[in-house]
Amino acid sequence: MQFAPTAVLAVLCAALGLAWVVEPSIAPDGWCGRLAVLIGGLLVGLLAIRIVTVQVSKQAQAARRYIDSLCELEPHALHDDESSNAIPLRKEDHVWRELCQRVRRRLAEFASRAEDLEMTRAAGEVRVRRIVADRDRLREILAGLVDPVIAVDQFGEIVLANASAERLLDVKTSGDEHPALEQLKHCEQLVSLLGETRRRRAATQRSAEVALADDDGKPHWYRVTCRTLADDDEQPAGGDRPAGHGAVAVLTDITGQKVIQKRNAEFVSSVSHEMKTPLSSIRAYVELLVDGEAEDEATREEFLGVINSQADRLQRLIDNMLNLARIEAGVVTVNKSALSLNELLGEAVDVMQPAAEEKKVTLAAEFSPLYLGVLADRDMLLQAAINLLSNAVKYTKPGGSVTLRSRLSDQEVIFEVEDTGVGLSSEDCQRVFERFYRVKKDSEMASGTGLGLALVKHIVEDVHGGRIEVASEPGRGSTFRVNLPGLAQLNA
Amino acid sequence: MSKRILLCDDELHILRAAEFKFKRAGYEVDCAGDGQDGWEHIQRQRPDIVVTDCQMPRLSGLGLAERIRQTPATADLPIIMLSAKGFELSLDQLRAQYGIRCLMAKPFSPRELFARVEAVLAGQEAVKCELADARS
Repeated sequence: MQFAPTAVLAVLCAALGLAWVVEPSIAPDGWCGRLAVLIGGLLVGLLAIRIVTVQVSKQAQAARRYIDSLCELEPHALHDDESSNAIPLRKEDHVWRELCQRVRRRLAEFASRAEDLEMTRAAGEVRVRRIVADRDRLREILAGLVDPVIAVDQFGEIVLANASAERLLDVKTSGDEHPALEQLKHCEQLVSLLGETRRRRAATQRSAEVALADDDGKPHWYRVTCRTLADDDEQPAGGDRPAGHGAVAVLTDITGQKVIQKRNAEFVSSVSHEMKTPLSSIRAYVELLVDGEAEDEATREEFLGVINSQADRLQRLIDNMLNLARIEAGVVTVNKSALSLNELLGEAVDVMQPAAEEKKVTLAAEFSPLYLGVLADRDMLLQAAINLLSNAVKYTKPGGSVTLRSRLSDQEVIFEVEDTGVGLSSEDCQRVFERFYRVKKDSEMASGTGLGLALVKHIVEDVHGGRIEVASEPGRGSTFRVNLPGLAQLNA
Repeated sequence: MSKRILLCDDELHILRAAEFKFKRAGYEVDCAGDGQDGWEHIQRQRPDIVVTDCQMPRLSGLGLAERIRQTPATADLPIIMLSAKGFELSLDQLRAQYGIRCLMAKPFSPRELFARVEAVLAGQEAVKCELADARS
């Protein structure tokens, strides 16, 4: 039964009953009759209302069941008309069907949006986790860098400094502490470089070499590479924004390179000096000969002799340099053969005799009467012996003497060069074999490259497995002793 | 009267070559193996000109020049310097501080050295100098 006609009938009955009560003329006679009609009307009205109420309540329950069923559906089934239509809905409840379908569609919409949101959130979470991991890794790499790294933002505040930078520049940037760049002490050059780079409008990179003192106050040279940093997106792009970017500076310690550069420059300078000295003599004597200044044969002989010995000297210098370079680069070829040490030393004495005589230094040889066999590279060992002798002659004053000895000791053969020269302090004795090392007072006294003894040590120790040592006393002379592993010893 | 020249060099051959050249030209030549030796020669007998190497034991060429300038008796003694090394000082400084009249780079030509010595002794102020070469 429909709600509207039932209600109309009930109201009509009630109105008729009321009319009869008010206007008895249109009603049947007698109170009883009228009362019966009135009560009848009221009852019919009440009945109609009751019927309507029950009907409405049933429909509401059906709708609730339907919505309950919808709620139990999986979100994806909400989109599916078929599965939602499978929910039982009685034919009489068709009034609600439309409404329920709309609710379902809205629910489906919300469900789909919720699903999208969830996916976005999950993707976001993954990204955040990855970014955090990346950041932690970068932070760890940065912290572990030996090279100091320091960055400032566009306001000139230090936003990042790794451990090396904090130590070197004495600055702290942990947490929210962002000290101003200008607070960095004793590194004006770095401050101005970072400041200038930061203020540049266009992206730029500049580098410079600056000297900074380390923890112990020792000066170090750094190559600073300074680069602008891209703008921070979070900053408002308004008019109050300062012009410029942030900047990052990476400092590379180049102290070692500087030392090598300086040494190389000194080396080239001393080598060229060493080469110019014999060359000067050669040139001077050649000119004298060409100009016909030497009139007698003896003088000409003398001049040619000088030219010859100076050419030899030049040759030895070049050999020393090349051999040391080859040995240090590991590209040397060693040709070892069994040979007589005494013979080889005799040759070295012959080579050095003219130079010793010229300087009025007595060069004596005291060789063992035994055959001292060694397995050696002839040219190299000869060069080592010549270097030792030439060194001894160089540092011995005229009138002094240089003695070359050889002897056998257990399984080793020994040769030593003793001079009556200027001698060495104990510190010099320890360092005299270092490449380029030159005894202080001698750098004034005698010229040299600081290569000769370094080469001797290489030849004796690295190439021949022997050892070299020096005993000396300042003012009393020096003795350089070389021990080499011996071959089978036979009577000479 | 023949001129007297003092040659200072620790390299005996160079000393001998220069000595030979100047002796043949009629000079009286004193030879010294280092600055100290040279200074002793000067004190014994004042030469007319000094030719000295720069790097020498005991007393360097610059040290010798300084002594010569600081001693009134020798303050005007002309000095020519030979060197195989470059100088940190400019020629102007060498002139002002040490009174070096001329700087010659090694290797040098005895002929050229002789010509310059003659020029300096003849009182020619503008003697050509080879500072640029000596710096190499």
